Amino acid sequence: MSRGLSVRLLGRMVREEWRLHAELFGDRFAAFPLLVAAVSGLGFWLLTLTAVSTEAVAAGLHGLVFFFGLQVGTIGLVGRDALRDVLGDVTLLVFSARTLPVTWRRLLGVFLLKDLLYYSGLFLGPLALGYAAVALSTGAAPATVGLLWVTTTGAFALGVGTSMTLAGVGTRSRPLTVGLVAVVAVGIATGRLDPVALSPLAFYQAPSLSTALTGFGPMLALAVVGPLAFQPADSGVARTATDRYSRLRSMFGDAGGSGSAGGVATRTVLEVARSSGSVWKVLFSMGVLFGVTALLVREVARATALAPSYGIAVGTLLGLGAFTTYSWVTQFDDEREYLRYPVGMSEVFAGKRTAYLLLSLPAGLVYLLASLVWVPAREVAVGAVVFPLVAVYVYGVTAYVTGLSPNELLFDTPLFAAFGAALAVLSVPLVVAALAYTAAPTVATGVALGVAALGAVVGVVLSRRAGPRWGVKVR
Amino acid sequence: MAAIETTDLTKRYGDLTALEALSLSVPEGELFGLLGPNGSGKTTTIEILTGQLEPTSGTARVLGHDPVADPLAVREAIGILPEREDPPSFLTPREYLQFVGDVRGLDDPEDRIAEWADRLGFREKLDTLATDLSEGERQRVMLAQTFVHEPDLVFIDEPLVNLDPIMQAEVKDHMREYCDRGNTLFLSTHFLEVAEQLCTGVGIIREGELVAERDPRDLGTDERLLDYFREEVGGGETGSGGESGAHDESEELAGDAGR
Repeated sequence: MSRGLSVRLLGRMVREEWRLHAELFGDRFAAFPLLVAAVSGLGFWLLTLTAVSTEAVAAGLHGLVFFFGLQVGTIGLVGRDALRDVLGDVTLLVFSARTLPVTWRRLLGVFLLKDLLYYSGLFLGPLALGYAAVALSTGAAPATVGLLWVTTTGAFALGVGTSMTLAGVGTRSRPLTVGLVAVVAVGIATGRLDPVALSPLAFYQAPSLSTALTGFGPMLALAVVGPLAFQPADSGVARTATDRYSRLRSMFGDAGGSGSAGGVATRTVLEVARSSGSVWKVLFSMGVLFGVTALLVREVARATALAPSYGIAVGTLLGLGAFTTYSWVTQFDDEREYLRYPVGMSEVFAGKRTAYLLLSLPAGLVYLLASLVWVPAREVAVGAVVFPLVAVYVYGVTAYVTGLSPNELLFDTPLFAAFGAALAVLSVPLVVAALAYTAAPTVATGVALGVAALGAVVGVVLSRRAGPRWGVKVR
Repeated sequence: MAAIETTDLTKRYGDLTALEALSLSVPEGELFGLLGPNGSGKTTTIEILTGQLEPTSGTARVLGHDPVADPLAVREAIGILPEREDPPSFLTPREYLQFVGDVRGLDDPEDRIAEWADRLGFREKLDTLATDLSEGERQRVMLAQTFVHEPDLVFIDEPLVNLDPIMQAEVKDHMREYCDRGNTLFLSTHFLEVAEQLCTGVGIIREGELVAERDPRDLGTDERLLDYFREEVGGGETGSGGESGAHDESEELAGDAGR
């Protein structure tokens, strides 16, 4: 009876997810898996041309999928209000515990399973297909491709479970959440905790009963702990807050432009800080991306004769990763809300830019500074220049292409393709420069700095044009 | 002088006509009610007049400004309360009204915030996160943001939604006083009793066309606005008061299609 209910809930949640995407993106949505397969296949093929082994590519893929899982799982971090702000008056089944005789934990558990099935079919499957085309042509066994699909699905589940667990523990004690993250970070930094051994990647690299247990065990544990720990944010408790608006507003002064832009920036920073996960979610998502990139640079150096530039590679990837910050700063409003105030869209985007830079730059720079422990200062300095320049480019492109709705990129195939192409225009030369660093360090660094600076100029131009463009579009 | 003047205002979304040649004049000091069934074009009218949406054809003047050519000037001069709009979830009412003060360029927001919080009875909730307010409290905060800058004209879509009977009476009194001071209020509502009690002029809109205008004070003793409304729109789903929060879903869909 009870299991039957969960199965029925699962079926309805999958249908709900499909309809949600179809409602948001129409027919364009169906082409998304094809695009993922094509783009990933192309990406893997390009990487093999640079002498990166398919094993290194597979390792990087696990890292990226884990990161994607973290992002998907942040529904628990964001909560119902933000979802309503993004999607309008949408009521999802996962939030029906208040009206139906179903526990919140069961709903969250089924929701997690639904995400796993849904995204493994629509996103991870095409990703594995793209990999298969390249891996099989290089002589890899077909079983390896199947194995990759299973373990990347596991890595995705690990990401979702980690997000959910952190959000769940955070609903009970924020210091405990910070403590957990700190313990894991220290464990990894000191070498006492091997993140690869505790992830499905371990099973991919060396399939055995032992690696199955150690590789998939944490994923299963987090999938149970997350929903158990979670206490819904909409619990009816009236939370009060001291007036931070005035203080923050006076700190900003006229940053970002007129009084209106300052107001938008202040409001945005407060909303990110007050929503579940606070500003830590920005630091956390940057941290995961930093870890994955640092690991990739190390793996490439180990697996090939190349010695990529740490500063260019990490600076570029952190800059691209600032997209997640853009997503946070636009999570709680949309263009139409501002049509009710005497504020121009240019001012709105100027305010958003201030909030985006204020949140993303310190978060990325913290990790770059931390890497001074094992990386030469010169490399860190290069990264510290490349990162903000790329972040400015990412802001301009995202604001211009998606307005205040960056989540529409997901599954809107033409928009995603245009956005991906725009990012590739800057990131591909930078990645090539990072790899060419081995042969010509000075030239590669110079080219990278020049390209990044040019990208920042383009970003500024696009961000200035985003306001007028969206001001016309929404009316 | 007219606070609002429209000539042949039309809005089309492909084959769908949301508004058809609306010509309307609302004098200053009027409490005007735009009435009509779901999907009749009320929200579209308000969105065009407040510069949120561009008409397909026709002209409009709001307090002397053109909402198409100069939407910011219109929004600066007016207050807007859309239906189903909440204050931002993670700001307190105080902070939200400070933000409104910022974008409206108010010099003394704190005094005004205190005054409006007292008037609408949410002073003790000024520092509670909006996400934790009741729906009625959120509506009061939204009413405060509509009036806090003391505009000469306000547009309100369903002002009494989610308010308790005592607060409904107080808001009605406030709207009357507001217009008695020479200000203009443009109201869209499903509550015909409210329109009958408050409005000094009503327009009835059906399928995007203005089919009748009337001063409810001219109704005879045995006449009800509901009967007049039924006569003009041919019965239908809207009319009697007491139903709170009925939504213009078809209008919203039409709006979405045009965005």
